[in-house]
Amino acid sequence: MANREVILLRGDELRTLEITVGAGQARELVFVALPGESGVIDCSVSVSFSGEGGDCVLSGLYLAGGSSRVNFTVNVEHGVPRCSSSQLFKGIVAGRARTGFFGLIRVPEHCIGTEAYQQNHNLLLGDDCHAQSLPQLEIYADDVRCSHGATFGRLGDEELFYMRSRGIPEFEARRLQMTAFASEVLEGLPEDIVCQALEALESLL
Amino acid sequence: MNDILLEVKDLHASVMEREILRGINLTVRRGEVHAIMGPNGAGKSTLSGVLAGKPGYTVTGGDALFDGESLLTLTPEERSWRGVFLGFQYPTEIPGVSNTQMLKSAVAAHRRAQNLPELSSKEFIKLMDSKLTLVKMDRSFLSRGVNVGFSGGEKKRNEIFQMAMLSPQLAILDETDSGLDVDALRIVGEGVNSLRSHDNVFIVITHYQRLLDYIVPDVIHVLYNGQIILTGDRSLALEIEARGYDWIINQHNGK
Repeated sequence: MANREVILLRGDELRTLEITVGAGQARELVFVALPGESGVIDCSVSVSFSGEGGDCVLSGLYLAGGSSRVNFTVNVEHGVPRCSSSQLFKGIVAGRARTGFFGLIRVPEHCIGTEAYQQNHNLLLGDDCHAQSLPQLEIYADDVRCSHGATFGRLGDEELFYMRSRGIPEFEARRLQMTAFASEVLEGLPEDIVCQALEALESLL
Repeated sequence: MNDILLEVKDLHASVMEREILRGINLTVRRGEVHAIMGPNGAGKSTLSGVLAGKPGYTVTGGDALFDGESLLTLTPEERSWRGVFLGFQYPTEIPGVSNTQMLKSAVAAHRRAQNLPELSSKEFIKLMDSKLTLVKMDRSFLSRGVNVGFSGGEKKRNEIFQMAMLSPQLAILDETDSGLDVDALRIVGEGVNSLRSHDNVFIVITHYQRLLDYIVPDVIHVLYNGQIILTGDRSLALEIEARGYDWIINQHNGK
């Protein structure tokens, strides 16, 4: 089990992180971005590897409502063969908020045996919010396993009606669905951070 | 308490400007089981959707009274609190929300609406255990995402389980038999029968008469082209099984 670091970003934050993963080392970082009503969060993460067998797991959750802004820029440079990385960033975007996810995985020619995955999923509430996603792969090596994906969705009407038909009030049915979406990232995090995230999630309803 | 639990009066409804229900009249008394049969496209699912408050339907005329009160202005959750339950033809999958979570919210909302105190965790688990036995479902169902990865039979048993948890006064079962093998059909039938009382009502919507071997109806209606064109007793289902719908439709069209 990797040593997990949790990075909570609240309100206005400008954060730059440079992570070097050593040979055979495993790192795990979880970002939770809660800008509040009008905060601006800009977080750049650069990951590089200094020896073979390194593993880096990044995940993140951003809950942006009001007029807030959240940007994540993630660069993973697979400069050493046989290292692995994965990224899972999820966002719930409401109000007039704007979010961006810019992710780049670069695998130079000699870096065979690389495994690198990148996922960005966005749940949009309302018509005035805006989420941007730019997942990019730059792969020059053969014999690698890499994938990326981005999705944008809304709360499912069918799911909402199903729950409401069982007597669950609409706001609670929405909250259940949003919590389900966020739980993939929140699972296993310290309780006080989960509480802060759930509070922020509730404010987006 | 009204003897008549549900009274549908000249109900018209359309979907995207197309009229599907063209004047439904239906009176259901407490303690009765009604079956609604009919060919594909007759409006069976529209009728159940309109009664449960599913978005996407526009009621253009008539009314549906539940215990004397119009259902049509109520939200789906308000209808549920009053005692209306819809068993879905295609139960929705909700990834990430467990059966327990959903039912806990649902039961809590029902109890709030009835001014009853919240159940303790122990009481809630006891209630779930007793209802699971009814549909012969394993406890492991509870922690799984709602209907996620369930087989067709498991989904339908889950509908009956949820119904048992909420003990509705009016349960509308929309083609609960579709996709069921004989064993699942029997379990569903037994589940429904154990919940029958002289106060509540079941409306069973079905294509086939085989479910009606297990859930014996008092009244059978044939729905065609948005109207109930024939009402009879149980023997009508057997006749439909043997002869199809054409003779009824022809009779209705005056041929």
